[in-house]
Amino acid sequence: MSTTSNTLKIHTFTCAWCGLTATKSTSDGALRNHCPSCLHSQHVADHVEGGPSECEGRMSPIAIAVLRTGDWMLIHRCVRCDELTSNPVCGDDNQLILMRMAVRPLAQPPFPLEALGSL
Amino acid sequence: MPRRTRPRTQDQRRQRHKDVLHDRGGHRANDFRCVGCRLDVSVDAPGTAHRNHCPQCLASLHVDRRIPGDRASECRGRMEALAVFTRPDGEWMIVHQCLSCTELSSNRIAGDDNAIALMRLALRPLQDTDRASRTLINL
Ligand SMILES: [Zn+2]
Ligand SMILES: [Zn+2]
Ligand SMILES: [Zn+2]
Ligand SMILES: [Zn+2]
Repeated sequence: MSTTSNTLKIHTFTCAWCGLTATKSTSDGALRNHCPSCLHSQHVADHVEGGPSECEGRMSPIAIAVLRTGDWMLIHRCVRCDELTSNPVCGDDNQLILMRMAVRPLAQPPFPLEALGSL
Repeated sequence: MPRRTRPRTQDQRRQRHKDVLHDRGGHRANDFRCVGCRLDVSVDAPGTAHRNHCPQCLASLHVDRRIPGDRASECRGRMEALAVFTRPDGEWMIVHQCLSCTELSSNRIAGDDNAIALMRLALRPLQDTDRASRTLINL
């Protein structure tokens, strides 16, 4: 990579939570809204009223939603104000955290799994 | 986990409506008919203070704005169960998304929510075996 420190600033951001420096867009051109390593994000847009949000709280990844296309979306919740957002999972997002999130509910089902019988 | 099987015929449901007249608490005024599967739902759910989704298909109505129960939204769109997640205390939560305005909300599950519907939701990320196995292989 032969980038100057100036273009580095334009094209990268530093994660406020884990300190990783990551590119603002992925190799396939998608814009990142969360850190590819810790998957955390920051509450900067107001999704209920629209426009920017002054909250700036930490948004932690809580769930994976699946689109009809099969693509995974990452659900974030703001730890300060509880607002929820949904954003596409990027190809280089931390797979271990994603998988842990996907199987976590199955490890603690609210009912005995035998009760589901022949499912 | 004995879960009630709810009668489906319209006749039986109409009979139940007479309860409204005899109910002293006035709770029944908040009962609703599910926008997803048309089930008549009583808001008195075991294990939750404020039932906001259908125990059979898990669908809900977009009535709250920022706080669960504030009923401050005028959207009234249909909210579909999108995902489940686990709170730190182990309790399952449902993420709902409004089909009209795409807003998200999270809600506690109720004691009589359909176990198969919940399980189907929880298994969704793993259902696409290609996606899941790619993720596992890349770990
Ligand atoms: Zn990070
Ligand atoms: Zn916030
Ligand atoms: Zn329903
Ligand atoms: Zn809505």
